Amino acid sequence: MFKDLDPILHSQLRLAVMSLLISVKEAEFTFLKEKTNATAGNLSVQIQKLKEVGYIDVIKQFKDNYPQTICKITAPGIRAFEEYVKNLQAYLAQPK
Amino acid sequence: MEQEKKLTEQESLSLITMMINKAKESYHDTGIGAIMWGAVIAICSLVRLSEVQFEYKLPFDIYLLTLVAIIPQIFISIKEKKERKVISYDDAYLDYIWLGFGITIFLLIHISNNIFGEWGSWANEYKNITGKSPSFRFSEYVGPLFLMLYGLPTFITGAACKFKPMLWGGIFCWVCCIIAVYTSIKIDLLLTAASAVFAWLVPGVIMEKEYREYKKEQAQLNV
Repeated sequence: MFKDLDPILHSQLRLAVMSLLISVKEAEFTFLKEKTNATAGNLSVQIQKLKEVGYIDVIKQFKDNYPQTICKITAPGIRAFEEYVKNLQAYLAQPK
Repeated sequence: MEQEKKLTEQESLSLITMMINKAKESYHDTGIGAIMWGAVIAICSLVRLSEVQFEYKLPFDIYLLTLVAIIPQIFISIKEKKERKVISYDDAYLDYIWLGFGITIFLLIHISNNIFGEWGSWANEYKNITGKSPSFRFSEYVGPLFLMLYGLPTFITGAACKFKPMLWGGIFCWVCCIIAVYTSIKIDLLLTAASAVFAWLVPGVIMEKEYREYKKEQAQLNV
């Protein structure tokens, strides 16, 4: 019996953000926007959703008088991502 | 990218792979630090070589230039950190490796100076008693020790960043280290200058060129 894929992660933009964040220590909002080609508004909403479930930490600060948003993946986020990939591989491995 | 587009399992896996690769490609060092240190070490070695070759002495130790170079390096590091939009795990480790390298170099200088002090008085005493200079000269072995150390962080950085010019630069330092064990101090200094050029200056120039191209691409994307 296969487990259901995490609905939070099984969405294009949120999965893209989590895949980027799993590979780095921390990343600025502008970096995520540049790599995902998403609009700022759209990306903000998805980051907020990931933050609400505790998958990422969002740090808002100022750099040279400009607001700066830094995102980093949390330990529950790493666990959820690993579980998601494991389930994904299980689905793909099943005979068609 | 649309947020609510439902993905097939295969699409999900492809997206994860693509994003992880994109994150890996995001390392862009300006190369300025590598260029500066490559030039500084090469200049110091060549000036010292000219002192030995033409038998003159500058009123100051040319290697003090390495201490002066720490000041612009601090500014370069601060500027690079400010411009960085992403910090990879490699960045964090490499910062510590280079910091550790800097500390080790200064400890080695301190130890070498102490040995020189002890050795100098012992050699004079030996000459007074026997009338001959001792055949062993500690200074012949200082160059290889530094070359051995130069190779380590350079090789690790090249491997971690998948940047072949630096990886080969690190190997070049170690090859020069082996050669320098068997050569005179003049050749040692020449090998040190060559190592600084191939391990840092040349990779630094390549990095700087790549960084400028990356910035240009980014500027075009944002237009």
